Amino acid sequence: MSYAYLFKYIIIGDTGVGKSCLLLQFTDKRFQPVHDLTIGVEFGARMITIDNKPIKLQIWDTAGQESFRSITRSYYRGAAGALLVYDITRRETFNHLASWLEDARQHANANMTIMLIGNKCDLAHRRAVSTEEGEQFAKEHGLIFMEASAKTAQNVEEAFINTAGTIYKKIQDGVFDVSNESYGIKVGYGGIPGPSGGRDGSSSQAGGCCS
Amino acid sequence: MFETEIHDLSDDADYAAASQQGPSSKAGHGISNQSYSSEPENAEIVYLKDNVTIHPTQYATERISGRLKLVKQDSLLFMSWIPYKGQSSNARLSERDKNLYTIRAVPFADIRSIRRHTPTIGWQYVIVVLSSGLAYPPLYFYNGGVREFITTVKQHIVIVRSSEDANVFLVNNFQDPLQRTLSSLELPRTISIAKSASSSSFTNSPSDGNLERLDGGPRQKGSDAARDISIQVLEKFSLVTRFARETTSQLFRESLVDDYRANENKKSNRSSQDKPREIVSNDVRVTRSEVPVPSDPLEFDKLSLVWGKPRQPPLGPEEWATFLDSEGRIEDFTALKKRIFYGGVEHNLRKEIWAFLLGYYAHDSTYAERQHVMAVMKSEYETIKNQWQSISPEQAKRFTKFRERKGLIERDVVRTDRSLPFYEGDENPNVHLLRNILLTYSFYNFDLGYCQGMSDLLSPILFIMEDEPESFWCFVSLMERLGPNFNRDQNGMHSQLFALSKLVELLDSPLHNYFKQKDCLNYFFCFRWILIQFKREFEYDKTLRLWEVLWTHHPSEHLHLYVCIAILKRQRAKIMQEQMSFDTLLKFINELSGCIDLDAVLRDAEALCVCAGENGAASIPPGTPPSLPVEDECIYQQDDEAL
Repeated sequence: MSYAYLFKYIIIGDTGVGKSCLLLQFTDKRFQPVHDLTIGVEFGARMITIDNKPIKLQIWDTAGQESFRSITRSYYRGAAGALLVYDITRRETFNHLASWLEDARQHANANMTIMLIGNKCDLAHRRAVSTEEGEQFAKEHGLIFMEASAKTAQNVEEAFINTAGTIYKKIQDGVFDVSNESYGIKVGYGGIPGPSGGRDGSSSQAGGCCS
Repeated sequence: MFETEIHDLSDDADYAAASQQGPSSKAGHGISNQSYSSEPENAEIVYLKDNVTIHPTQYATERISGRLKLVKQDSLLFMSWIPYKGQSSNARLSERDKNLYTIRAVPFADIRSIRRHTPTIGWQYVIVVLSSGLAYPPLYFYNGGVREFITTVKQHIVIVRSSEDANVFLVNNFQDPLQRTLSSLELPRTISIAKSASSSSFTNSPSDGNLERLDGGPRQKGSDAARDISIQVLEKFSLVTRFARETTSQLFRESLVDDYRANENKKSNRSSQDKPREIVSNDVRVTRSEVPVPSDPLEFDKLSLVWGKPRQPPLGPEEWATFLDSEGRIEDFTALKKRIFYGGVEHNLRKEIWAFLLGYYAHDSTYAERQHVMAVMKSEYETIKNQWQSISPEQAKRFTKFRERKGLIERDVVRTDRSLPFYEGDENPNVHLLRNILLTYSFYNFDLGYCQGMSDLLSPILFIMEDEPESFWCFVSLMERLGPNFNRDQNGMHSQLFALSKLVELLDSPLHNYFKQKDCLNYFFCFRWILIQFKREFEYDKTLRLWEVLWTHHPSEHLHLYVCIAILKRQRAKIMQEQMSFDTLLKFINELSGCIDLDAVLRDAEALCVCAGENGAASIPPGTPPSLPVEDECIYQQDDEAL
């Protein structure tokens, strides 16, 4: 399918916070409580529309366990957006945010847009992290923030799409050089007007971040 | 680069000596050429040597002897090697084997190189490598005569000595202007090839396809297939001689295995016939598109027809019984493992046999001893399990590491193979057993603890053993070898990924160069394959089969790395064609899950392993999992934060 832009996303956060469920809810619009834990990385993709332009999100869903951090770090390269997820019912997943953020800052592009997501907000009765704390953390670190539920789908669309909106705005503002794929953005065949319109577009398969 | 010079070969002492003698005096120990009237009238036998032999298996006692001839017809030179009729060292070598290896009048236009080997001790042999990269098995000259063979060839066609290896003679060296001219004469392809399955692939190696590759752009060193392949075949030979010394006694037992092979011949013939064609047609498609893909130096899909053996049916109960003595000892564990390597085990035998393969039961234990071991180990399991079961809630409050481990394990067991009937549904008791065993293991091996991926390794074991203590101890045995995969510093994984990169460099240098160019030499795209032994890449039952094959450690403890290479090699053209980068490669490899042909890949892996030989083994650092650790102490040394 043709797209104007392709954005690479990465979902990070402690194990068991619901990264894979958020992805599945976003790509397949379903919640699957029983699924295999993620080893290494899994991929998902979906087309969205922003400003009437088709945009493809290619989403990397990573393994959360500490032991795999060294390999997860290699996935940041060329990501335009990141969803940093914690579980509002498990305090420690919130406490680890700073270390995740440090990894992201160190290994990702400086202009990567990061969305902080407090997942499992359907489990309000077991809440261990208040909304205010989440907001506060996001504000301190310059992140977009949202509480969401992969189970009820609440705010899932919004989380992914708002992130894309922010990235898109950065492109319009000229923050990114979209011809440089290390920003995690590829220009597709989907008809971008202007100077880049006729460029040798990247098909969905060809090209890559490190060439 | 084909960095060759046209040497005056007379500077070589051997060569000069042979040249002086000339071929006619050599023809077959005084037998006159004219006495062979079977050749067409205008054909002239210019060289004939009896007792030229191939060793079709690893065992030199299995041999097929025949007559090697060089025949000249219409100014073209052909080589043939025809086995003697009804005279075989070993009854197990069938007529089919003979047909398989027969070389019927191969024109030298189809030959890329000849490598000679003239050791001071042992038989001289040559390896003939075709333009396609396929090599015939070594031809041993039991009565000597390699020099004369080379000399005779030289008298009729132009050969040049490779500047890289004085023992390699390049036949169709198209960098040489003279030879280019010769090749442009469109030599008639009168090749008549054995009709057997394997050699049918020989006809798929037209020299024109090869010319295209040779003439297209700058050549990489790695594409000097002739050289690469001959080196690897030589490595194989070094195995042959080693095996030959130690295996006479094994031959008897092997004949048992061969009965199965014979039964399966038809089936395997069919499959071996289909696959290479498929691959060849893929290659053709690839060659014609815009991005040039460096050729596979091994042409391994064809190579495995020569070296990789057909898979067999799984080991069944009757055959299993023959491996046991009256008291239940496995009499020849090596033979058993080899048998399992080639076919696996029938499902209902797995519970019994996996315990041996994993090393939980000693193979020379009796039924009675195993009963005893089982009872002792059951009680020992309960002791360790009790260590965490006895932790009170109050104690747990002050035991963060325990709480974290328990939480992690409990979150993971409900995400392990739950679509399998054995583990599906709420409150499934087997899920609870997974949890118990993993928690107990994290106390048994507190330094290593628990890491994601362990539940994937345990799940099939519990599924087969269906018993908590036995599963635990089998898992312990497995973790003796795979534990380092889960070290916090990932050193076990890194050493395997490093060994993998070395092996790819050895077995497919163009692919290695490609990964290097794309900054993919960390081989992270193979991470999941190695961490959990391909568990996520195959259907569950296929995983069971693969694991029992890997656990035989035949022909290498590190066969899993060759399995990686076998899979990569099947995809190499696509990977390079589409210029995959780190990201696209990772995604592509992930998506191979469920699309890998296990039997084909195992066969390729065996062939690759045998070809890599001692160079392959030398590429793998000592102690690389699943080798047992070099030292026993502190193998799981972790930093303080380890769970």
